[in-house]
Amino acid sequence: MILQGRVVRKRVSLGSKSEHEALVLVTADGEEYRLRRQEGNPFRDPELDVLEGKRIECEGIVRDGLVIMTQWSVLG
Amino acid sequence: MTVNKVIVTNLAVLQGKYSAGFRRVRDAIARLIAADKKRGLTTLHVAIDSAVDMRSAGGSPVTTASDRRQAKAAIDAVWTAYTPDYLMILGAPDVVPMQILRNPTRGDGDANVPSDLPYACAAPYSSDPSAFLGPTRVVGRLPDLLGGTNPAYLVSLLGTAARYRMRPREAFQRYLGLSAQVWQASTALSLAKVFGNSTALQTTPPRGPNWTNAQLARRAHFINCHGAESSPQYYGQPDGKEEYPVAHEAARLKRKVSNGTVIAAECCYGAQLYDPQDSAGQAGICSTYLADGAYGFFGSTTIAYGPSEGNGQADLICQFFLDSVLNGASLGRATLEARQRFVALYTHLDPTDLKTLTQFYLLGDPSIQAVGAVPHALSRTKAFKSAFKGAKTTTGGRAFRRERLARTGTNLARSVGATRPVKTRPPTHVTRALNAIAKESRIKELSRQSYAVSFPTSASSGDMKQFAATRRGRSVYVLFGEKITPDKVKRVVALAATVEDGKIVHMRRVHSR
Repeated sequence: MILQGRVVRKRVSLGSKSEHEALVLVTADGEEYRLRRQEGNPFRDPELDVLEGKRIECEGIVRDGLVIMTQWSVLG
Repeated sequence: MTVNKVIVTNLAVLQGKYSAGFRRVRDAIARLIAADKKRGLTTLHVAIDSAVDMRSAGGSPVTTASDRRQAKAAIDAVWTAYTPDYLMILGAPDVVPMQILRNPTRGDGDANVPSDLPYACAAPYSSDPSAFLGPTRVVGRLPDLLGGTNPAYLVSLLGTAARYRMRPREAFQRYLGLSAQVWQASTALSLAKVFGNSTALQTTPPRGPNWTNAQLARRAHFINCHGAESSPQYYGQPDGKEEYPVAHEAARLKRKVSNGTVIAAECCYGAQLYDPQDSAGQAGICSTYLADGAYGFFGSTTIAYGPSEGNGQADLICQFFLDSVLNGASLGRATLEARQRFVALYTHLDPTDLKTLTQFYLLGDPSIQAVGAVPHALSRTKAFKSAFKGAKTTTGGRAFRRERLARTGTNLARSVGATRPVKTRPPTHVTRALNAIAKESRIKELSRQSYAVSFPTSASSGDMKQFAATRRGRSVYVLFGEKITPDKVKRVVALAATVEDGKIVHMRRVHSR
């Protein structure tokens, strides 16, 4: 699946054992997807940190509000 | 014919997944049934998609494999027809679906909670988790790989179950205890309760994920780390830092897990069955443990909960499971006892307690007794041996245990209350009290949620009548807020006020981990 949107940092899994800050893709229609690089650390991935604040297009597997990205590009 | 154990599966789906290889699965099921017979168990294989099998059970066949309502009705019919001591669901959720329950802690990121708990309850199909507070059935799931096409994995797990052997308690006394460093006090407390000490506790950081062969070979594993969806790794965390180094990973388990290992994992998504394609072909930690000879894995399908200090929620249900296993319960009975002990702790289950109950489940053959129970001295007498040829307990022993478990679950269903989210606003004085605590604790508000607490009418019989009036007006109001710790780490704090007839009767502050 291919998605486009802006990458923001948000606190997720609120109140749970694994509550943490994560990069979230917010699409033009307001849908939110947590971003993960396939085989990347789901909690903190320096390779994805550089995407914060940028508009990207990404391709990957979508599972219940999560995108497991296989590739991506920065749109601006 | 008395049936001790039922294996339920969807044969058409298994045939579709494995094509010609399905014959190997069918043969492996037959070998397990034969092995069960040698152990004194009469096992019946029921295809819930078979009109013939379901007619025998007095139920309707499943016509759409993913139809959860049909699957629940079929399994209920099978249970009612045969009242087995053990019910084993064979296959991943793409073979026999998990029930999808409403997430009691909505807003935490999980859309819903996939659960096998409803299969362990007599209550009919519902997506409301509070309908399943009284589990009575011994149930476990022996999974294949989601989306799998090679039967080798499932054949291997069926073989492990067929060849299983009981071991003495001492074989499980040396354990592997893994914890995120930030939770080490809580994990140490859990280990001390289950094993009598916490000396073998390992934390990440500084250690992990390259655990030694000797550590991984221990037969009891207790894991309290972070976990994530579709991830073959668990993660640690140092005190006061937002860093998540790898603590444990599936790829390092291969050929290092001892036959007979039993695992309890508190981690978020710790027992999630995901398609290995999500993770470049690597199956999850739970699936890998089972492939490597573990007998059972007790863990969560979704985001799990625990208090910042001491023990609660995930800590407790995992402790209860291992405690029962070490005391000689079958893995399925240990699961049922853990669920019942957990529910019995409360007058009503708040949203995080309710989620804990629904999300933890057993992966493994529920009839496996990993640890031998210590028999009574009477069983060594000649007269006993003569009366119960070849047995270490009376033939009524398991039947009595099932009767006790059914009674306990039935009583819980009749007496325990649960919270349901409602749209009502809290009374002004409650809002004021929550605001005052939030201000004093320097908590920045994120959201609020109101819950009604409801009890079954049977919960007010006998001496419980005296509590009926106050319960009627009981509700819970939660303020979720954010607090910055002195070391600049953001922590979510939940302030919960329990109110009865307009009066605040209890307050609790729960910190995220």
